[in-house]
Amino acid sequence: MILEALAGSLGVAGAMLVVLQRNMVRAIFGLAVALLGVAIAFLVLDAPFVAAMEVLIYIGGITVAMVFAIMLSAEGRLAVEASALRRVVGALLAAAFFAGVAYAITESSFPTTSLAAEARSELASVEAIGRDLLDRFNVVFELLSIVLLVAILGAVTIATREGSAGTEDKKA
Amino acid sequence: MTLQTWLLFALVLFAVGLYAVLARRNLIAILIGVELMLNAANINFLAFHRFVTNDPAVGQIVVLFVIGLAAAEVAIALSIVLAVYRERKAIDVQDLEELKG
Repeated sequence: MILEALAGSLGVAGAMLVVLQRNMVRAIFGLAVALLGVAIAFLVLDAPFVAAMEVLIYIGGITVAMVFAIMLSAEGRLAVEASALRRVVGALLAAAFFAGVAYAITESSFPTTSLAAEARSELASVEAIGRDLLDRFNVVFELLSIVLLVAILGAVTIATREGSAGTEDKKA
Repeated sequence: MTLQTWLLFALVLFAVGLYAVLARRNLIAILIGVELMLNAANINFLAFHRFVTNDPAVGQIVVLFVIGLAAAEVAIALSIVLAVYRERKAIDVQDLEELKG
């Protein structure tokens, strides 16, 4: 119960920090707080391995990469305030989406079956993930590694090409 | 906590992320909003995995795939942000209007 309350409050507080902070470094800190709440939610949902990966990849990797991008683009550190019209329209659309989906969730009934106790024990669940990754979902797993490789190469190409083009322009 | 409570928690995160994407002008702030929405979807996957399915791992594996794809997406998006910044000295989306019809 305490963990669930912690997950909910950290998630919502971090998300609020993301949308309300003009200082981008603090907004990224808010994202890290929200992700910590999500990781605790994963822990409560009987997925300790996924919770650990969430902390390692998201908080340890993605938010740090974002901080680097902010540091490299000095102008981006303090976000320009959006116009009032834009904020009102955005808030209205988000609120309408929230109301519609919340209505759908509360009105519908979901079938609930529970896993067998032995299947839910933490060791069994990590073992099942490893087996399925190399067995049932092996094609997806290998495709994902190719996607990551292409993404890394693409990121390097995009981030460096503009710079060399810029220096050529200066020479000309 | 019931399944519906988890879905509502994920919905709060998704709506806040949607607001960030719609209302903020900084490219990295928009990217943070997308990340919030992806994490809301991950909570939904794990909640349905926990409460509905009998399979021991499928929901967790889908979430691991989403996390991996999000890492690739952030790498590409941040390199685009840096390229835009080098070209324009700004990462404000309202300056990027060459393709506006």
